[in-house]
Amino acid sequence: MTSYFSRITGRDVEFFEKLLGGKNVSIEEEELVANAVDAYPGGFYKPEIVLWPTSSEEVSEILKYSYEKRIPVYPKGGSTGLTGTVPIYGGVLLSLTKMNKIVNIYEEDMQVTVQPGIIYDRLNKELEKYGLFFPPDPSSGSWCTIGGMVASNSSGLKAVKYGTTREYVLGLEVVLPEGRIIRLGTRTFKYSTGFDLLKMMIGSQGTLGVFTEITLRLRNLPEYYQTALAFFPSVESAVKTVYQIVRRGLDVAAVEFMDEKMMKAVAEYRKIDLPESKAMLLIETHGTRLAASETMEKCIRIFEENNAVDIRVARDAEERERFWAARKGAYPATLRLGKYMLISDIVVPLSKLYDAVQKSYELGEEYGIHSSTIGHFGDGNLHVHWSAGNNKDKIEDLHKANDKLTKWTIEIGGSISGEHGIGTEKKKFVKEQFREAFDLMLKIKKSIDPRCVLSPGVIFDLEEVLS
Amino acid sequence: MTVTKLFERELGEYFEDIWKCIRCGFCNSVCPTSNTSQSYLASLTSRGRIILLQAYFQDLLSKSLDHEKIQELMEYCFGCRRCLEVCPPGVRIPNLIWRVKKLNRRQGFLKKIIFTNFGRMEKLFSNFPSLSNLFLHSYIGKTLLEATIGVSKNIDFPSFNRSLEKWINNKRKPANYRGRLAYFIDVFTNYHEVALGREVVELVEKLGYLVTAPPQKEAGTLLLEEGLIDEAYKVAKENVESLYESVRNGAKIITSSPAAYLALKKDYPELLGDTKSRIVSENTLDIIELLLKEYENGVIDFDNVLENQLVYHHSCFTKASGLTKNIKHILESSGYRLKEIDKCCGIGGIWGLNKKHYNLSIEIGSNLFNELNRISLPVASQSETCRIQIKNNTLVEVKHPLLFVKNRLKIDKSRLSSFT
Repeated sequence: MTSYFSRITGRDVEFFEKLLGGKNVSIEEEELVANAVDAYPGGFYKPEIVLWPTSSEEVSEILKYSYEKRIPVYPKGGSTGLTGTVPIYGGVLLSLTKMNKIVNIYEEDMQVTVQPGIIYDRLNKELEKYGLFFPPDPSSGSWCTIGGMVASNSSGLKAVKYGTTREYVLGLEVVLPEGRIIRLGTRTFKYSTGFDLLKMMIGSQGTLGVFTEITLRLRNLPEYYQTALAFFPSVESAVKTVYQIVRRGLDVAAVEFMDEKMMKAVAEYRKIDLPESKAMLLIETHGTRLAASETMEKCIRIFEENNAVDIRVARDAEERERFWAARKGAYPATLRLGKYMLISDIVVPLSKLYDAVQKSYELGEEYGIHSSTIGHFGDGNLHVHWSAGNNKDKIEDLHKANDKLTKWTIEIGGSISGEHGIGTEKKKFVKEQFREAFDLMLKIKKSIDPRCVLSPGVIFDLEEVLS
Repeated sequence: MTVTKLFERELGEYFEDIWKCIRCGFCNSVCPTSNTSQSYLASLTSRGRIILLQAYFQDLLSKSLDHEKIQELMEYCFGCRRCLEVCPPGVRIPNLIWRVKKLNRRQGFLKKIIFTNFGRMEKLFSNFPSLSNLFLHSYIGKTLLEATIGVSKNIDFPSFNRSLEKWINNKRKPANYRGRLAYFIDVFTNYHEVALGREVVELVEKLGYLVTAPPQKEAGTLLLEEGLIDEAYKVAKENVESLYESVRNGAKIITSSPAAYLALKKDYPELLGDTKSRIVSENTLDIIELLLKEYENGVIDFDNVLENQLVYHHSCFTKASGLTKNIKHILESSGYRLKEIDKCCGIGGIWGLNKKHYNLSIEIGSNLFNELNRISLPVASQSETCRIQIKNNTLVEVKHPLLFVKNRLKIDKSRLSSFT
C-alpha cells in the first residue's frame, strides 16, 4: 500500500523551494529525523521533506500540489502529541511553527484570532496584559501549539470548570486536502446555522484539513484562587467526595486525584512529606475572593464528612505552587521508576471512577507491572501510569494491560481518550468505541479527502479510507 | 568494536539518559537557543538533539556522531542548564551533550591547546596587565583571538588586572578570627574583575574571618562546554585536592562566581565521583549564602531606610545552582524592591563570544537588553559573563548583588565575640 503514494522527487523539492523559498524547505537528514517522532513512545517515521509555510495561501498551494501528486502531508505543531501522529507514510511534514502570530485581540469581545503555530503559554502571556486567558491548560502548555490543541481537542487540569479546547473555538480557517480555503464558524457565541462543521474539525488530528487561522473565545483571569489538599483513608472516600462536590453543584476549577502509590512516588521524587493515606485530592476554586472562599469552605465540609485524615489549605501563592508541584510531580515521579511506561487517557462516568481505579490495580497485578493513578476526577478523566521500570521484557505487558483497561472503558460507556486523541495509538479501539458511527466518520473522511493525502494512517487505516 | 559501540562506551553512564527522554519538549521551552529565529528547525532545538541521539543509536541516522554537521548541531547547547529544571524524567542534557562533543575529532588543535591552558594563559597575561590590555584591545590582538579561539572582534573583552589570588596571599592576615575561609575564585574574578574579589575579602574579614586563596586552577566549566572532559577531569581533580586540604584544616570554601560554585557543588562530584569532592561540595558556600547566615544569626543587619528599585537578572548558572532564593532574600532584606527578569542574555559562558555564534547570542539577549533599557534601573546579576554581555549591549549599570548590599550592611560587633 505504501506504493500508493508518490515519493518526493527533485522536481517536487524544486517546486516547494520556489513556492516557499529555500530556507523554508529541508530535506537534510538530521531535520527529517528530528521530525520523525512526537511524544508518543513509538517508532521513528521520517518524512521525506519538511516544509514551513508562512501563510494560508502557501498551505493551500502545498496541499493542491500534494493532492494532485498524491503525496502524503502531515500537519505539525509542537510535536508534543501523545498518540503518535507521525508521518508513517513519509511525504511532507508540514510544520506550522512559522505561522505563529496573534492576528487580532478583540478585547471587548473577549476573543482572539491566532495563527496555528503560536505556543499556548506565549499566547496566555500576551493575553494576561488584557486580564484575559485561554483556559484549557494542557500539561504540555509550554511547547504545544494552539493548532495542535484544536486538532486534538486537548485540555488539562481545569477542564471541570472551564471545559476543553472545543468549548472555546469560535471560528476556523481551514485548508482542505485539495487546497480549498474555507472559513467555519463565526465570531459569535451562538449560532443556529445547520450542520456544525466547525466542531467536526476539532479533534480531527490533521485528517480533514489544515487549520491556518483560529478564533478563540477567552475568559477573564480569575480575581482570586484558593487551593487545598485533602487526604483520605480510602480511594472510595476520595471518589465519594468528588461525586458530592459535583452533585452539590460546587463551582470548582480543579478536582485532581492521586492514589497512594502515586503519592509515594511523588513524595520520594519531590522530597516532601505527605500524610499516610490511600488517596489525595487537590481542589482549587476560582472567582471573587468571597465566592472562591465560600466554595472552598463547602468543599472542606465535604472532606470532613468523608473522614479526610488531613486537610491543608494554601495560605499564600508560594504554598499553592507547592501543592501544584506535588500534583504535577506525578508524571516525572513515574518516569523515575524506569524508562518503560505508558499512560492511559480514559474517561468514565463519575459513578465508575472507583471501579476504574480498582480495575487498574487488578490489571497491574495480573501483568506484574506498576500501576498508579492520577486523574482529573471532576470530569471523570483518568491517567493510569503503567510502568515496567527498566524491564524491557515487560513492554508488551504494559500495552496488554492498557488495552484491557481501554476495552473495559468502552464496555462501561466511557471514552478511550479524554484529551490526548487517537493518533496511530488508539486506532484499533475507535471502531469498537463508535461501532456504526465509525462508518459515518469514515465516510466523512472519504468525502473530504478521497485520496487520503492528509495524515494517512492517523485515526483511520489507509486501506479503510481507500476501500 | 563498532563505532556505535565505541561511542556508547564514551558516553558512559549518560548513554542511558538518551532513552529516558520522552520528547515532551519541555526543554525546548526554556532552552535559549531553541527559541530563536533559526529554531523552527527541529534539529536546532534541545529536544531535536536528543532525538538525533536516539536515532543514531537505533541505526536510524546515517551520519556518525563525530560528523561535522552533527557536531555543529550539538554546539547549540551552551550548557546553561535551564533544561535540568524542567525535564520530567531528569535527563542530564548538558552532561550528555558535553560527552557527545568529546567525540568531535575535528576540534582545532590550537583551540584545544588554548582551552586546556586557558587558566595558565590568563595568569601569564595578568602578570603584565598594561601590556596585555594593549594587546587585547588592539586590532592585531582582536584578529589573533578571532583566528585562534574564534572570539568575535565585536567583543569588548574586560581588561586584565594583577591576580587577586596573589593579593590575598600577600595581604596581612588578622591575628584573631572566627573562622577560616578558602576563596575559590575562578579566572574572571582572579584576573579581570579583581575589585569585586577584593570587596568579598574585605567584607568577610570585617565579619571576622581569615581568608586564604589556596592553590587553584580555573573552575573548568569552559572545558566541559567544549567537550574536553578529560581535561576538565584533571582540573577538577587538582582543585579538589587543594581545596580538600583547606577543608581538612578547618576552612569553609567560599565562592562569588556562580560557575565556581556550580563546579564545586555539582560538577566536580559528578565528574570525580569520589569522597573528597563530596566533602568539598558540602563545605562550599557562596558569599551570599554566608551573608544570609550572618543575617539570620543577627551578626549583620541592613539600613532599610532607603528603599530603591532594582532589576534582579536571573542568570542561567545562578538558577542552576539554586542560589536565586538566597540572593533575592538578601537584596530584599537590604531594602531593594526587585523587578525580576528571567531572560537569558545569550552569552552562554563564552559561547556568545565566538564569532560563529555572536549574532545569535545577541538575538537571544535582545529581549533582555530591550527590557533593561526600557526599565532603565540598575541591574544585579550574579554571573560575570552575563554582566559583560549586559554592559556591552545596554546603557544600564550592572553589578554583582553583593555590591548593592555591602554599603547598607551593619555589623553587630558584639556578636563577633566568639573568636577562635
